[in-house]
Amino acid sequence: MISRRRFGTFLRAGALAFAGSLSFAHAAAADTIKLGIVGPFSGPFALQGKNFQAGVEAWLTQNGKSVGGHEIEIVYRDLPTANPQQARALAQELIVKDKVQYLGGVYFTPDAMAITPLLKQGNVPLVIFNAATSAIMTSSPLVVRTSFTTAQTTTPLGKAAADRGITKFVSAVTDYGPGVDAEGAFKKAVEAAGGQVVETIRMPLNTTEFSPIMQRIRDAGAQGVFAFLPSGPPTLGFVKAFSDTGLKPAGVKLFATGDLTQESDLPALGEAAAGMITGFHYAISHDSEVNRAFVAAGEKAIGGPGQLTFPAVGAYDGMYVIAKMIAATGGKQDAEKAVEAVKGLAWESPRGPVKIDPETRHITQTIYLREVAKDAKGNWINKEIQSFPGQKDPGLAK
Amino acid sequence: MTALGLKPDGAQARPLLRDLASIALIALAGASGYWLFPDNLSFLTRVISVALLVLSLDLVVGYCGIASLGQAALYGAGAYAAGIACLNGVTEPFLLILIGAAAGAVTGLMMGAVMLRAHGLPQLVLSIAIVQLLHEAANKLAWLTGGSDGLSGMLPAPLFGLFEFDLWGRAAYLFGLGLLIVTFALLRLLVRSPFGMVCRGLKEDPLRVSALGISAFPVLIRMFAISGAVAGMGGALGAIATQVVGLDSVSFELSANALVMLVLGGLGQLTGALIGTVVFMSIEHVIAAINPFHWMTLVGAILVAIVLFAPRGLSGTLDELARLLRREGRP
Amino acid sequence: MTLPSPPFLWPSMQTALSIALDALAYGMALFIICIGLSLTMGLMRVVNLAHGAFAMIGGYIASYAARDLALGYAFAITLAVLGTVLIAIPLERLLFRRIYDRSELSQVLMTIGITFCVIGITNYVFGPTLKTIPLPAELARPVDLGFRSIAGHRLFVIASGLVVAGGLWFLIERTGFGIRLRAAVENAPMARALGVRTELIYAASFALAIGLAAFGGVAGAEFLPIEPYYALRYMVTFLVVVSVGGAGSIGGALAACLLLGSIDITARYLMPEFGNFFFYLAVILVVCLFPRGLMGRAKA
Repeated sequence: MISRRRFGTFLRAGALAFAGSLSFAHAAAADTIKLGIVGPFSGPFALQGKNFQAGVEAWLTQNGKSVGGHEIEIVYRDLPTANPQQARALAQELIVKDKVQYLGGVYFTPDAMAITPLLKQGNVPLVIFNAATSAIMTSSPLVVRTSFTTAQTTTPLGKAAADRGITKFVSAVTDYGPGVDAEGAFKKAVEAAGGQVVETIRMPLNTTEFSPIMQRIRDAGAQGVFAFLPSGPPTLGFVKAFSDTGLKPAGVKLFATGDLTQESDLPALGEAAAGMITGFHYAISHDSEVNRAFVAAGEKAIGGPGQLTFPAVGAYDGMYVIAKMIAATGGKQDAEKAVEAVKGLAWESPRGPVKIDPETRHITQTIYLREVAKDAKGNWINKEIQSFPGQKDPGLAK
Repeated sequence: MTALGLKPDGAQARPLLRDLASIALIALAGASGYWLFPDNLSFLTRVISVALLVLSLDLVVGYCGIASLGQAALYGAGAYAAGIACLNGVTEPFLLILIGAAAGAVTGLMMGAVMLRAHGLPQLVLSIAIVQLLHEAANKLAWLTGGSDGLSGMLPAPLFGLFEFDLWGRAAYLFGLGLLIVTFALLRLLVRSPFGMVCRGLKEDPLRVSALGISAFPVLIRMFAISGAVAGMGGALGAIATQVVGLDSVSFELSANALVMLVLGGLGQLTGALIGTVVFMSIEHVIAAINPFHWMTLVGAILVAIVLFAPRGLSGTLDELARLLRREGRP
Repeated sequence: MTLPSPPFLWPSMQTALSIALDALAYGMALFIICIGLSLTMGLMRVVNLAHGAFAMIGGYIASYAARDLALGYAFAITLAVLGTVLIAIPLERLLFRRIYDRSELSQVLMTIGITFCVIGITNYVFGPTLKTIPLPAELARPVDLGFRSIAGHRLFVIASGLVVAGGLWFLIERTGFGIRLRAAVENAPMARALGVRTELIYAASFALAIGLAAFGGVAGAEFLPIEPYYALRYMVTFLVVVSVGGAGSIGGALAACLLLGSIDITARYLMPEFGNFFFYLAVILVVCLFPRGLMGRAKA
């Protein structure tokens, strides 16, 4: 609602960044490379912004605050909700006044679209940590993305769902851009695998009471339901209603993107979400050395377990990409050279092996099929049960 | 001043002087903004765009006494109209502003026609319902408006064919400043005109005005159209300067913010609208940049303090201070 | 092959019943939260936009009591109501009392300000994640009604709504307190002259309204989940419902909640992609037809 919800809860991390910038100021004033990070650090999406910051801080803790002798200074800017006018103003100031060499972050698509026209003139690359619409990548050649797109996570999910022998699906998505994308991708994947989406439901944004939707799903006689909702209060209502109205007890299978079961919501969802199948690029519980180290650093940065979730890994990998850019340009500001240098870059991320696709500059990664289950300690996790390596963004494929 | 603007003798010349003085002040403040903050011009342009919205709200709330929490409907109509026109080949900035103004005025007429059917709280609720409906519509009509991803890709032509709307934002800022000054001057004339006086009269004593044989509806609906044109220009300016129009431009949030800024500055004076916008957005911008934890708590506290200690807003309090000083200065 | 989804689905009798039941539960949850606001607005003439903030505080207290301290549901509700009223009392003395006779605009601004503060503090203290209030086993269990199963909790909400409506009606229309309250509302100076302590009456009804908000926040948490933005997210809905019903009227609030609740729910079943359109169109229509609300108290 009334927009200025910026009580970014990050006192500690903010103070850290502030103290950091002070010390750099006199230590290496001659060679400090500034990074501008734009994200929702306050407001209803503050948790996602906090995760941006945790990812960045985790990377800095593990790799130090300099690359090739160049000190890195992070400038955080708060953009609580999708607001392109504000996004442009913040980006302009970061470029012109703060003289950042790199821009990172960005949670919402319209904000990214407002920033991309500035990149060429500012000679600044933008590394997107989240904003997930395919079209952003074509709006400027200076954009690289380390998150995922809805189509990317949904396509393997659709195939896996159809492969389970379920033929009759209903899709229920929130009625806005990403929801419509998800619906399209799921339908395409299911139909390619011989299944059928018998009904597509688009639900109003902000709805938290889903029993009429469940009634509609029941009437359609679905064996499987595909759902996409933005993370937050609606997902809780949806998953609970699915279980309460008897669809889950009746054996209807619920498939969704990982947004619905982000780790910070799992304790609230609890038993109602058990057995839900999701497709996503990252789970906190991913089993690898790299991930365990990342989670340890990330949880420390965010101030304890329970809040770390997927945007953190986008930010962490974004920092990796920016560091490679700094190394490749020898610290000089050259956006084109920087972007050129990371095309085709491949590395081991906390989510598994990833690569920047040289054509689209979007990240190629493994998409996992996960099931909500309890781990050995009794905590709810997204348990990986199947993987689809080397997934590109189908939305950008020509 | 009495309800119908009958002023004591000798007061006729002074308002005009005051108007000229305030216009000169705005120009001066705008120019110093340009020289003092050359790296923040995008932000300052955004302030001007919102200032036009708040001015338009003052026309309705401050001069007609109609509370509205849906003014962004008019702003968004202007923004989307200008954006859509720009994508379809109309790139001349002045023309885009006119298109925005026209779209805002038409929406204002429709909004007024609905809102004037009720009074008080139900009227406020109507304004909310209208802005929410338009927000839904803008989301649904994604083929036209870009939906939640925003309308992007517009490339307005250079100002006067010379000055690009670029990274540094000088053209956009000066364009906006000129627009604001012209609009402000015209609105000053408007509120001093007989028409403006009737509006004020309707706010303060509707019974007496109707006793004069003036019916309220045609007067108020005209004010709605004018208010819509002003808000629409603000929206169009935002669309030209940002080159993206998002759903936030037709939101309840923006409407409520505009009302907060207006009351912060002071109702029914036009200058109050400008002061409120500049103060609110500057505080927000500065505090956001030093990354506070509790910006929202702070705004809340400010609001409470204003209601308790400065019920007439910043400009009202300034006036009062000035009056006190003057009185004390006299022997 | 995919069948095109039917844009408009006529429900069978059984489905219609089932939707009506959902609408009833949803409307009652709205009613419990909103009726307090309707009282403050209609009887005390205060547009208290911070009403949702008090509902949210109730929800947080109950969540803390039931989840973190593992206390019983009934105990958590009691604690939530008492705790919220306790928090509200100093606010009433310091802030609300000063805006009782101010303009609606001042009231709107101050209560929005209070809402902001509450959200800011809540976010800082409890963090941005969702909070749940664990239900006791007997309410969590689905109840088989023959034609469908319904969460026991929904039946509890329906029953609570009826009890609240009946109780309030009795309190206001049939008790000495109600008489004094109505007298204070109609003509405060006269009531004072007759020995009614209006300040006390106002404080008591304010506490009652806040207590109902807190109860609504807890009981309705399954419909409107508890998180820091609760107070703003549903502010418009609450305000709209109360205005449509006519501030101060229990019957009006009940009618508005049930009407808007069923329009919302039914539209979401029939044409989910246009769900919000119907809700706000209905609001515009009702306000235009009944400018004083469905059963508003006509101002003298």
